[in-house]
Amino acid sequence: MAPQIEPSAGFKFDNVKRNQLLGDKGYKLPTATKTGTTIVGLIYKDGLVLGADTRATAGPIVADKNCEKIHYLAPNMYCCGAGTAADTEFTTNMISSQLALHSLNTGREPRVVAAMTMLKQHLFKYHGHIGAALVLGGYDSTGPHLFTVYPHGSTDKLPYVTMGSGSLAAMSVFESRWQPGMSREEAVEMVKDAIEAGIFNDLGSGSNVDVCVITKGNVEYLRNYARPNERVEKEQSYRFRQGVTEFYAPRAARRGQDTAEMDTSA
Amino acid sequence: MDAQFAIAGRDFVISVTDKGVMSSILKMKKNQDKTCQLSSHTFMSVSGEPGDTSNFSEYIQGNVKLYSVRNSQDLSPSETANFIRGELADALRSRSPSHVNLLVAGYDKGAGEAALYWIDYLSAMAKVPFASHGYCGYFLYAVMDREYTPDITLDGAKALVKKCFEVLKTRFVIDFADYTIKVVDRDGTRELRQDEL
Amino acid sequence: MSIMQYNGSAIVAMAGKDCVAIAADKRLGQRALTVDTDFQKVFPITDRTYVGLPGLATDVKTLYDRFRMRVNLYKHREERTIEPKTFSHLVSHMLYERRFGPYFVEPIIAGLDKNDKPYICGMDLIGCLDFAKDFIVGGTASDNLYGMCESLWEPDLGPNDLFETISQALLAAVDRDALSGWGAVVHIITPEGVITRDIKGRMD
Repeated sequence: MAPQIEPSAGFKFDNVKRNQLLGDKGYKLPTATKTGTTIVGLIYKDGLVLGADTRATAGPIVADKNCEKIHYLAPNMYCCGAGTAADTEFTTNMISSQLALHSLNTGREPRVVAAMTMLKQHLFKYHGHIGAALVLGGYDSTGPHLFTVYPHGSTDKLPYVTMGSGSLAAMSVFESRWQPGMSREEAVEMVKDAIEAGIFNDLGSGSNVDVCVITKGNVEYLRNYARPNERVEKEQSYRFRQGVTEFYAPRAARRGQDTAEMDTSA
Repeated sequence: MDAQFAIAGRDFVISVTDKGVMSSILKMKKNQDKTCQLSSHTFMSVSGEPGDTSNFSEYIQGNVKLYSVRNSQDLSPSETANFIRGELADALRSRSPSHVNLLVAGYDKGAGEAALYWIDYLSAMAKVPFASHGYCGYFLYAVMDREYTPDITLDGAKALVKKCFEVLKTRFVIDFADYTIKVVDRDGTRELRQDEL
Repeated sequence: MSIMQYNGSAIVAMAGKDCVAIAADKRLGQRALTVDTDFQKVFPITDRTYVGLPGLATDVKTLYDRFRMRVNLYKHREERTIEPKTFSHLVSHMLYERRFGPYFVEPIIAGLDKNDKPYICGMDLIGCLDFAKDFIVGGTASDNLYGMCESLWEPDLGPNDLFETISQALLAAVDRDALSGWGAVVHIITPEGVITRDIKGRMD
């Protein structure tokens, strides 16, 4: 009856049989948190700009009003994620650690194509079951690069891209205004406008605008660059009078900081 | 379609399980003991898929006994229940899941109190004052909710069991021919006849 | 019916001023039948970190047992207690490991870190972390809890006010959810210790 410490690499499938059994009995299996999402990226004169909204949804419910969708990959590389929230988070995290090891081994700054290849090979391996749709951007020794990576593992290389449920709204901004060789101010403003187009016209996107400007040797992560949906202060306080909640004779308080005994009870 | 319930007082548990074995519309047997003695002060009652019940309970009985022999000490009721839950959870994830509902009753000699554990076929477990599985629960929980008090005596519990029988007799479509009635307390486990209630 | 609604549950965590609170209902059911009215869904991980596990009851127990083993191992290896943030990443990884065959639980973690700073977070059933400054909800009454918390929560509530706010939010939410309720338990985690109270609720 000794506890077994499991090998820890890769996915585990031990619940699959049990879950199929429950599914066969007619119980609906739940869905994971999605990021409805508007994510964009564009290349300008000195580098590139990434942008994202900050809404995470679980069905019709807003699960997180201010989540982070621009993920760190390497010092010169960031990646916006749309789709199943856990998949974008863990996929970018894993590729990020592989890139760190890669650049430690080679002693060079990682290239964006390397990250793009690692991402697409990983996603292709899982046949689209890992629901990560990504906008990958970075500046390496060969200049600025912008890619989109789809859940099935296909990629595009374009000067301006949008993804997620708000991609159509955002693309309408880019298609009407993007031109080669824009200034930094123009680029950031346009990314903001594109994300706001998603925030206001797509139900899956909302809240704030995150922006990330990547140039040669420099990254500016502008978290909550625009906050167009600030909540007004509540007019009244709904604070309850102390003592209104009835409770049974209180239990004794647990005290102390590092005194927690190891819990080995049955 | 089994009748399976139990009531725990501070220092005893009384458990009732019907003796019928049914297959579709047929009564196959009316003297099947669906309880399973695990140690002197712990036993469980089992309902569910006919083959799974005997297979799983014999497996548990063997392993709990093996533990006692190896360690010269019986598992306490809570340890037994947790062990059973773990095995059932593992079985559920295997190629041959067991469809069994369990009630584990015991008297913890160390703590000096009785314990009753409810475990369903998904391996959810709860320590409860009274419990039931299957359709008869829809009738019996109402009776037990109304009549149960935490300081119930064995005689009180016997009277409550009689009331439960009464409800099953008048309101439940199935007529249970006979029941296994078991009590566990400080002195160990013993079986009662219906007229001893 | 979804498998997340099979047993019924309602759990909420809130951050206050130098304190956090986590509260849960006590019902265990099998669909519409109530089996237990004293079922534990919130568990202490350390003296100042608690985890709430709304969802399928069998996985509540399985996961809590696994957490306990991992936290005990952590204590052995590192010779220190686990921080709430570290613990939530441990939980998140344990859930994502089963991305294609998940546990049906959406954990909620509340605690104070080593600088007594409040920490609350939630995640979905495959481990996507949701860090919040205000509150986290979960279970069959989660929609109701969202509504209650959005209106009742305010920043910088002290332990006593936080207790009233979280209790009233939970009680109002479970009164409009058939699958949860039957009493509730509230833990208020402060630098001085944890106050645990069993609050009175409707038993219908």
